[in-house]
Amino acid sequence: MADVNVFPTELRQMSPTLLGIAWSDGHHSKYQVRNLRLSCRCAGCIDEWTRKKILNDESVPEDIYPKSMESVGRYALKFSWSDSHDTGIYTFEQLRAQCECPACKKH
Amino acid sequence: MFFNKKNSVTEAQVLEKLREVNDPDLNRDIVTLGFVKDLKIKGGDVSFKVELTTPACPVKEQLKSECDTKVRSISGVTSVEIEMTSNVRSHQPGPSASVPGSTKVSLPNIKNMIAVASGKGGVGKSTVAVNLALALAKEGAKVGLLDADIYGPSIPIMMGVKRRPDVHGEHVHPIEKDGIKLISMGFLVPENQAVVWRGPMVHGALTQFLTQVQWGELDYLIIDMPPGTGDAQLTMSQTAPLSGAIIVTTPQEVSLLDARRGLLMFQNVKVPVLGVVENMSGFVCSHCDEVTPIFRTGGGKKIADEFQVPFLGGIPIDPLVAEGGDLGKPIVLAQPDSEVAKRFISLAGQVASKLSTLQFQSTASFKPVGLSWQT
Repeated sequence: MADVNVFPTELRQMSPTLLGIAWSDGHHSKYQVRNLRLSCRCAGCIDEWTRKKILNDESVPEDIYPKSMESVGRYALKFSWSDSHDTGIYTFEQLRAQCECPACKKH
Repeated sequence: MFFNKKNSVTEAQVLEKLREVNDPDLNRDIVTLGFVKDLKIKGGDVSFKVELTTPACPVKEQLKSECDTKVRSISGVTSVEIEMTSNVRSHQPGPSASVPGSTKVSLPNIKNMIAVASGKGGVGKSTVAVNLALALAKEGAKVGLLDADIYGPSIPIMMGVKRRPDVHGEHVHPIEKDGIKLISMGFLVPENQAVVWRGPMVHGALTQFLTQVQWGELDYLIIDMPPGTGDAQLTMSQTAPLSGAIIVTTPQEVSLLDARRGLLMFQNVKVPVLGVVENMSGFVCSHCDEVTPIFRTGGGKKIADEFQVPFLGGIPIDPLVAEGGDLGKPIVLAQPDSEVAKRFISLAGQVASKLSTLQFQSTASFKPVGLSWQT
């Protein structure tokens, strides 16, 4: 389990569909950007009361990409997606837990 | 040569002795920390500056006398002159990689932003914020005070100011009173008019307070938060790069319950909690100055321990505090020698040294990041 106080030190586009995040503890994470869009936890994608997913994965284009991303305070990243969705706030903890690098995927 | 080299004191000797002086908060010696500046030696006359990380350093005098004693113990030293100065380190993250359409607030001239918050209303947040700001300014720091309570601004009354700030185009000039810069919704809206706004407008006003107010260079910007964990708190945590937060509570259980929520909120948004202050902690008798605990005490300490954050002490109830608040003469200025004022001054010292410690502790400092995708 990563330290709760880790934060990203660098964001890097590794391919047209792959995002890399370097963390303050030295870890390097990789993400397929479409997976990040599908895991959006905003009120428009997850029902606030039932916690059920409202977002229909099939409605998200295969070639979706994040137009831009930026820090929110000291705790999260905000993504603006090519499908104009931009209400999702991804906490560092969530992003770290979702890391798709081979070492993290094993656990 | 005017002086006989053999008998004169060397720089190395002085620095070696000064290495024996430790900053108790940072736990390192003042030479390693780079605090010793402008060391001049003329024969037996030694003079230097000790540059601390805050003018409100609680151990300033202690350090000065320790330096004096150490250097005087070197043989050949005839006089020692020490000037205690300060250079507040910036706790602000550097500017983020520029992202088109970014809504980020960049405030490079404000070195530290401190939120004074509580879960519950009426615990004396504004009183703590005002007196903390004044105590820091008294020690020589450049201080601003932002009243983030849009619906119930109390800073204008507490500071005794009613003027409207000067507005030049997009720029708002903060009001200066008693050595600190102030901004509050209360300066912009007449007293007999209520602010009836929805959340997004609160967000807009607070963002303007941060971006359009010409704060100039500040060592500390104290933010008096409204009670609760709602829009204003979120805006501040998301757009203002807060260096830390102070939680104000009263000793009673209901207030503690809400203080707990406040603490959890700051933990969630990763803003370091500098500590908990217990306000209304006992009553100061106006005849004998004795403090009587009329409510239960120890609640603030309990919650600080529970969250493993520092307990910054209790502020007793003193009718002078309420009077000072209503008359626009905060107790730190009106009765600087009173017990309550002394507690506020001690609080300011602790807050300033906690911020300095945080900076020296963090191995990698937090910086906002950003990225534009290439297609």
